[in-house]
Amino acid sequence: MISSRNIGVVAALATLLAAAPLSAIFQGWTWLIESIIAVAVVAGVAALTRLARAPLWGQVLGMLAGLMFALTWLFPSGKELFAILPTPGTFSYFGDLLAGSMQDMRSYGVEVPDTDPLLFIAVLGVGGVAVLVDVLAVGLRRPALAGLPMLAIYSVPVAVYVDSVPAVPFVVGAAGYLWLLVTDNVDRVRRFGRRFTGDGRDVDVWEASPLASAGRRLAIVGVALAVVLPLAVPGMTGGLLDSLSRGPGNGTGNGSGSGGTSGRIDLFASLAGQLNQSQVTELVKVTTTEPNPFYLRYAVADELRSTGFQARNPSGRPANRDLPNPADRAGRGVQQTSHRATVEVTKNLSMALMPVYAEPVRTEDLNGNWLYDDSQQVIFSNRENSRGRKYSFDYIRSTFTPAALRAAPALPTDHPVRRQLTATPGAVPEVEELVKTLVQGKRTDYDRVLAIYQHFSADNGFSYRLSTESGSSGQDIVDFLTNKVGYCQQYAAAMAWLVRSAGIPARVAFGFTNGSNRDGDTFTLTNLNLHAWTEVYFDGAGWVPFDATPAYGVPGSTRSTWAPDNDAPEPTTPGGGVAGTPTGPEASAGPSGPDNADQDIDDGLSLGGTTPTEQPPVWPWWAAGLLALLALLAVPALRRTALRRRRGGQAASGALALASVDDGTEPGTRPVVVGVDANRARADAHAAWAELLDTLVDFRVPVDPTETPRATADRLVRDALDEDPAVIGSARLLGRAEERARYARDPLTGEQLLPALRALRGALAARADRRTRLLAAVLPPSVLLRWRTGLADSSGRMVALTGQARHHLLRWNPRRLLANRAAR
Amino acid sequence: MTQQTWDEVGGLLPHDEFRAASEAIVANIEQVIEGKTATVRLALAVLLAEGHLLIEDVPGVGKTKLAKALARSIDCTVRRIQFTPDLLPSDVTGVSVYNQETHDFEFRPGAVFANLVVGDEINRASPKTQSALLECMEERQVTVDGVTYQLQTPFMVIATQNPIEMEGTYPLPEAQRDRFTARIAMGYPDANAELAMLDGHGATDPLNELRAVSDAAIVRQLIATVRQVHVADAVKQYAIDLVTATRETPDLRLGASPRATLQLLRTARAVAALEGRDYVLPDDLQALAVPVLAHRIIPTADAQLARRTTDAIVSELVHRLPLPHDRQRNPYDTRPATGNGRAPYEPRRP
Repeated sequence: MISSRNIGVVAALATLLAAAPLSAIFQGWTWLIESIIAVAVVAGVAALTRLARAPLWGQVLGMLAGLMFALTWLFPSGKELFAILPTPGTFSYFGDLLAGSMQDMRSYGVEVPDTDPLLFIAVLGVGGVAVLVDVLAVGLRRPALAGLPMLAIYSVPVAVYVDSVPAVPFVVGAAGYLWLLVTDNVDRVRRFGRRFTGDGRDVDVWEASPLASAGRRLAIVGVALAVVLPLAVPGMTGGLLDSLSRGPGNGTGNGSGSGGTSGRIDLFASLAGQLNQSQVTELVKVTTTEPNPFYLRYAVADELRSTGFQARNPSGRPANRDLPNPADRAGRGVQQTSHRATVEVTKNLSMALMPVYAEPVRTEDLNGNWLYDDSQQVIFSNRENSRGRKYSFDYIRSTFTPAALRAAPALPTDHPVRRQLTATPGAVPEVEELVKTLVQGKRTDYDRVLAIYQHFSADNGFSYRLSTESGSSGQDIVDFLTNKVGYCQQYAAAMAWLVRSAGIPARVAFGFTNGSNRDGDTFTLTNLNLHAWTEVYFDGAGWVPFDATPAYGVPGSTRSTWAPDNDAPEPTTPGGGVAGTPTGPEASAGPSGPDNADQDIDDGLSLGGTTPTEQPPVWPWWAAGLLALLALLAVPALRRTALRRRRGGQAASGALALASVDDGTEPGTRPVVVGVDANRARADAHAAWAELLDTLVDFRVPVDPTETPRATADRLVRDALDEDPAVIGSARLLGRAEERARYARDPLTGEQLLPALRALRGALAARADRRTRLLAAVLPPSVLLRWRTGLADSSGRMVALTGQARHHLLRWNPRRLLANRAAR
Repeated sequence: MTQQTWDEVGGLLPHDEFRAASEAIVANIEQVIEGKTATVRLALAVLLAEGHLLIEDVPGVGKTKLAKALARSIDCTVRRIQFTPDLLPSDVTGVSVYNQETHDFEFRPGAVFANLVVGDEINRASPKTQSALLECMEERQVTVDGVTYQLQTPFMVIATQNPIEMEGTYPLPEAQRDRFTARIAMGYPDANAELAMLDGHGATDPLNELRAVSDAAIVRQLIATVRQVHVADAVKQYAIDLVTATRETPDLRLGASPRATLQLLRTARAVAALEGRDYVLPDDLQALAVPVLAHRIIPTADAQLARRTTDAIVSELVHRLPLPHDRQRNPYDTRPATGNGRAPYEPRRP
């Protein structure tokens, strides 16, 4: 009973956790409070019915009734009895709410406000899931199945957000589900009775079961497989990742996907991706009554963060109603003409945005799911996409005279547009300085903007090239302003940033140039015609486009009277005709890959970047690798030599001290003897002994850690040495010296240890076979053994440390704390 | 009675004199016990370590002879107790008897009031009588009727026992065994020694011709000298390791006591001094581990079933135990430096 009540509570909490994805839908948190109430009522009723030992169907009926009461209390219609007892009037009110929720779902985009119909359907859904989860997890003891209704909640934001769903709520929900599974399984394991460890000890209540480690291993392997397998399967990687990150494509798999969808995907990244495609794909066909239209636009990035320009989530009203008419801005040098255009989107362009000319006033063939954002002047949808659509719209083209723009008054600093759209993320000193120089002496906003615009001219060294790094963050801007090489993305972003720095609202617009494929009134636009430019806000004139990108780099670029071509005097003609068919045989023959980054759109003007880079010769690498390998192999031998020298040096320094004490004769000429100083003599004996042991290891004479020095010396004499009295004497001398150094009051003094050591080494080497001798010289086993021991030591310490840490952490194990509380 | 108390030992002997005195005793005993130099030296070492000796072997290998030879080589008071089943504790310790002349109780010292006490066939006495030795062996005093009498220095109990016979014997209790510093076995003599014995002992008992070559005063000086032998920290650590190993090995039900550690080190000092060293080596401890430790410990039932003697278990421990290094960790000791890394679990709450 206790355990099932426990699982019931966990089931309720897991349901609430699984409801976390709804936070992405609602603006407020009312839904959560009401869901908590509903779930609590359901769980409470379930516990009560189980206490009364009601059968399963009784529990279900009880929970449904509890949910009904909760809903009645939460959404009062005014007709119920005692506030919670539903009447027929209540049910009809619920019916109204349901119908209203359908209406609201259609009319609101995410995130939705807290309207009663939407709250009602959310609470009803969560409560229903709570009932299902409880029945599955507690009644039927099949908690794994309870994941299905939980997943149903998650499917709501998945359905609403077509492109990207926040990941955190899913993690929260998954954690709830796992919690439910774990609780059930712990309960199941406990039913076996007492748990034992391998060493026959009882397992405390709070301790993890010994079976848990197997489970952990399984889980880790499972997760690793789930992550690695898709990466390892090439088809899945190409399809999945590409379609998520790349723009619209030709549908053949390579580079397919949807281009700048609604604001969540980096517009710049998709733009760069598109422009770098080797394959030309027709995206849009547009027919307009305007003889020389400005660019077709579909998105705007007006939020400047430290990472660069980003798109805000658009918001607006249905595009099939009347759209705001800019006619009030006419006059005073602003000419407005009305035109009509028809856009046909091919099947290759799938995004939640619709390309239109600036300032549409009326649309046709677009349903209520398409919304118009007045401030961004884009048409978007949260549900549908543009694939294969055809629609018409009327729009008003505004043209401006420089005089009119000059006459436009500067925006007051507290104007919302100015406040919002001049924000820059922290001052970039280089930019500030440049802007200061440019706008110096300019009196009107237009003059300032023009000065900035004209800065991006070929005279100032700016040139067009597709192969630069994409990016529009502060650092990238500085790089661009220094290198002066880039394409539309950098030009548009840099100009917008500079204009903002000058205190004038600016943003980056995305769209298509007019392209190079014109048939009468019809323009056929491809992925290579994608473009970005700057829009600057002038009071009274609205958003005025400026295209700072060098015209020769952009097929179909258009200039205006207020923003004349910076590079017009240049002899280079705009490369529209040349770039019309950029898919030369060499471009399509080459595989799509990094080479394409060098592929300029306008082949005619490409900077000769196609010459193959010089391949550096390979052999130095091989030689360096070989040298490194040799150096690595020499390390043990060097270490051994260093050790031997140090040990010898100890004895030698002792001799030196002795020499200087005795008579001060030339220290080098005296025979090396152990110094008179007791400590030094001890150190010398230890050094000699350590060296002897290392030598023994090197020559594969066993070393026994249980042996005393005397016993070791005896064994050497007995087993490992020839019967040369000098060598035998050496061995015994070394043993005696070490023995006295370790255990006696006074160490042995006045003996020549180094010659003894040398004699012993010679004798050992003479007895060893050739292979042993070689190894002792090249890869001394003593050094390797030392390293291995050191490694084992440190790893042992590490294991001990982690063991302690684990032990300490277990003190705070929630299950243990709970168990303690229960014991009291 | 001139009582020499425990701490009043003699002055130090110079190295040469120590050597001469000890060699004289050994040589004297060897006139009687041929070919057993190591055993004889060990017996002397136990005397110099202020310990007690238990000689255990089959009948007829010279246990009693060794004990008597050692006693006779030193000119000091010697008492012999023949342990029989009807021996009473008061026979060992002494008894208060009523003196009709003085109309008072007066104390008649028992056999333990001597420098050397030879207890023959100690396991034939009842445990009651064996227990009479407990106090005097450890505390060197006898308490009779509430009066405590100090024993003399040197004081040494040399007991013999026969391990073969079962009937009519009472095995020594653990507490009693623990009081014996060392247990030595005589072992059969080798062929040459046996031949020499036949030649020498054929006509007369050489024991009768044995003269004392030393006396209690010299022995006290020897003891004082032995106490000065240097024991390095590493050696002490090794002794502790050794004793700890007997407590931790799964083969043993009862390991060695702290008294065993003390006596091990004392005996090692004596052995080192007899070898002419003024410092103890781990070699000494290794050589002494079996005689000093093996008789105190009790093997588990499994080890007994496997017919493993305590001697074998101790010598195996000695061969397994690495030497402690006083400088740094021994690089050839490949065991991990720390434990197995598992934190100890807390005991389960009731």
